[in-house]
Amino acid sequence: MSAAQSRPELVLSPQPGESPFAAYKLGAPYDEMFAADGTVRPHYAALAERLANLPPEELLRRQQACETSFLHQGITFTVYSDKQATERIFPADLFPRIVTASEWAKIEAGLTQRIAALNLFLKDIYTDGRVLKDGLIPRSMIYGSKHYRREMRGLPVPHDAYVNVCGSDLVRNESGEYVVLEDNLRVPSGVSYMLANRDVVRRAFPSLFRSQGVRPVDQYPRELLATLRALTPVREDVSIAVLTPGVFNSAYFEHAFLARQMGVELVEGRDLLVNDNVVYTRTTSGLKRIDVIYRRIDDDFVDPLIFRDDSALGVSGLFNAYRAGNVMIANALGTGVADDKAVYAYVPRLIRYYLSEEPILNNVETFLCREPKSLSYVLANLDKLVVKAVGESGGYGMLVGMHASKAEREAFAEMVKADPENYIAQPTIQLSTAPTFVDGRVEPRHVDLRPFILHADKTVIVPGALTRVALRRGSLVVNSSQGGGSKDTWVLSN
Amino acid sequence: MLSRVADSLYWMSRYLERAEHTARLLAVKLETTAEQSREDAESAWVRVLAAVSEEHAPVTDSDVLAITQHIAFDQMNGTSLLSSVSFARDNARQVREQLTIEVWENLNRLYLKLRDLTAAEVSSPAMLFREILQDLHALEGVTYSTLSHGEGWYFLELGKHIERAQLICRLLDLHFGAARAGIAVEANYFDWLVLLKFCSAFEPYCKVYTATIQPEKIAEFLLFDAEFPHSVRFSVDRVCDALIHVAPGAPPGRRATVERLAGRLKASADFTQIEELMSGSIDRFLGDIAKQCEKIHDAVYAAYIAYGAETVL
Repeated sequence: MSAAQSRPELVLSPQPGESPFAAYKLGAPYDEMFAADGTVRPHYAALAERLANLPPEELLRRQQACETSFLHQGITFTVYSDKQATERIFPADLFPRIVTASEWAKIEAGLTQRIAALNLFLKDIYTDGRVLKDGLIPRSMIYGSKHYRREMRGLPVPHDAYVNVCGSDLVRNESGEYVVLEDNLRVPSGVSYMLANRDVVRRAFPSLFRSQGVRPVDQYPRELLATLRALTPVREDVSIAVLTPGVFNSAYFEHAFLARQMGVELVEGRDLLVNDNVVYTRTTSGLKRIDVIYRRIDDDFVDPLIFRDDSALGVSGLFNAYRAGNVMIANALGTGVADDKAVYAYVPRLIRYYLSEEPILNNVETFLCREPKSLSYVLANLDKLVVKAVGESGGYGMLVGMHASKAEREAFAEMVKADPENYIAQPTIQLSTAPTFVDGRVEPRHVDLRPFILHADKTVIVPGALTRVALRRGSLVVNSSQGGGSKDTWVLSN
Repeated sequence: MLSRVADSLYWMSRYLERAEHTARLLAVKLETTAEQSREDAESAWVRVLAAVSEEHAPVTDSDVLAITQHIAFDQMNGTSLLSSVSFARDNARQVREQLTIEVWENLNRLYLKLRDLTAAEVSSPAMLFREILQDLHALEGVTYSTLSHGEGWYFLELGKHIERAQLICRLLDLHFGAARAGIAVEANYFDWLVLLKFCSAFEPYCKVYTATIQPEKIAEFLLFDAEFPHSVRFSVDRVCDALIHVAPGAPPGRRATVERLAGRLKASADFTQIEELMSGSIDRFLGDIAKQCEKIHDAVYAAYIAYGAETVL
């Protein structure tokens, strides 16, 4: 089977001389390129003009060249089905998504504020628990969370920075406002696609690129390295490693990419050993000490002695070395407690509580069923809402009200009433659409935005992001496993 | 360098050498078939099959397509060309960050090209295998010119030349040694010529010995020529040189066994006379060289790659 993701056959070939935008239909959602009256937004004007003159065959050709380049570079993820493991590329759409300087300024300020609050929150719940004593967040929600790590209590963390790398998912709602959909505080991935997409788009449209004032993103690996360095008091000869689950992990390409770009070692659990609370790698010349580990494996698998004992991915004794302060781990363990669906709903309150500031970026409106007023609203409006169980992910324990039958809604309502603490509800959000190449034409597709935030002694957000795009018409699901692709994201300098 | 990385680089290189060997044998065999009698062509196939897969089976003309498929494109055959390239790529993938983008892309492209081929669909297989040889040579060149010649590069060298020395020994064994017994027909002039071509040695041989084809001279050239890159002695030299450069920080105690074995192998390749061998001991000699290569492999693993932590703490 070919790994190349062949695009569907051209069914409706664009007519020669026809504008690639001829079939572009605006709907209710906010569109990144066109205002509601159909005029091109100013920051897309240059791009629109350039592309309008490009023959559709040429667009197709460049799109295919881009896919071939990904395949050859091995920028693929592995899909396991039946017996066969298939390598697939994560389709990259050549039509860039553009973010203006002022939009970016707000995103940057909002995310900086958010990560500050989340780190203060993590420090609080692993030390004094002030936020719990003050009754802002129910104790049961924290101590009952499967991501709360008792082992982390009272453990000092450099710069009090628990989350060093964060990927937050933003979406634009119908009114064009960026809101935060989710924070990924454990092992967020996708940054390599931000860099790889930039690379192919720069190659496909070199002249366009220069004239637009696009801010560079290539410094990300350097900034990540600086963030990791800042975690250790060791100054000379700091030895840093990226810890990967191995070549079979779907994000392996990214792990290898980051290690290579930072010029540090890429290690697997079997390369490491702990002796006398010091972590070493096994090298040809003997054992070599490691000071900082950028781990890309989940908490559960880090150390079989402390966490899951059936894990072969981690390193026995790693946690004790960490506790002894002999090795730094980024992100710290136990950060997952702050990115579950219930805590998410509290983030605006946490920002006010710790920083005495109003949130710059809003959450998607979220109703906590544990609060009686919200519960009665949710039960009365089930047909308009998406209801999610807080402990679940990947679409389990979820009701999409507008697509469910009356009986399903009634059954779900009973479950919510029986255990309201376990549920939250949100309105269905129409993600914004952005122009996307489909069979040589441009059509609107839904997108989100994942910027990456680095934080140790200071917060750094590289001006760029992974824009994920739902390549199926009308689909709101941007995940790579479900027909999602990605786009280069241009943050303009003015 | 991480021991696991050294392990992957070493095997990547061994598999690529094996792939090159297989591709060349197939290309040469398919190119020369037309000039041979049917009987000779069939016995030559037996040699090719035995050289790449340790299989000794009678071959008839009608099997050629099936054999080509088996040797070149059969994923289930662990010694096929496709398998070798695929194993090399698996190893490269594990150490992706240690390779340059050029090295990886060349290897990956070759794999993607081979993966979907079948013998039945290839219209001119001899040309295809020549093309694959060129791809492999391009990969070798790109490796030489883009990758730093540091420890990792020497592990690639080590793998390549240990494999090459063993492959040449195997091929010589099929023409001069014990393995010859499995082949019904005695080698003729044409077979000797083909043997040289199997090692891309025909022209280099002629430069030294003229076009006079003599089995003894061929054996001498392929075993002991110091300058020809597909001779056993050349590979042994490269192995010894690589061993000086790998694991630079390892203490002398851990290097001792490896260095002693390397010295012994070099002495065998440098100081053996072809006359002694041709009088009957060549079987033993070829077997001995192959065994010494295996011992070096084991010693390298014990000292640098798979050592127990307790031995160094």
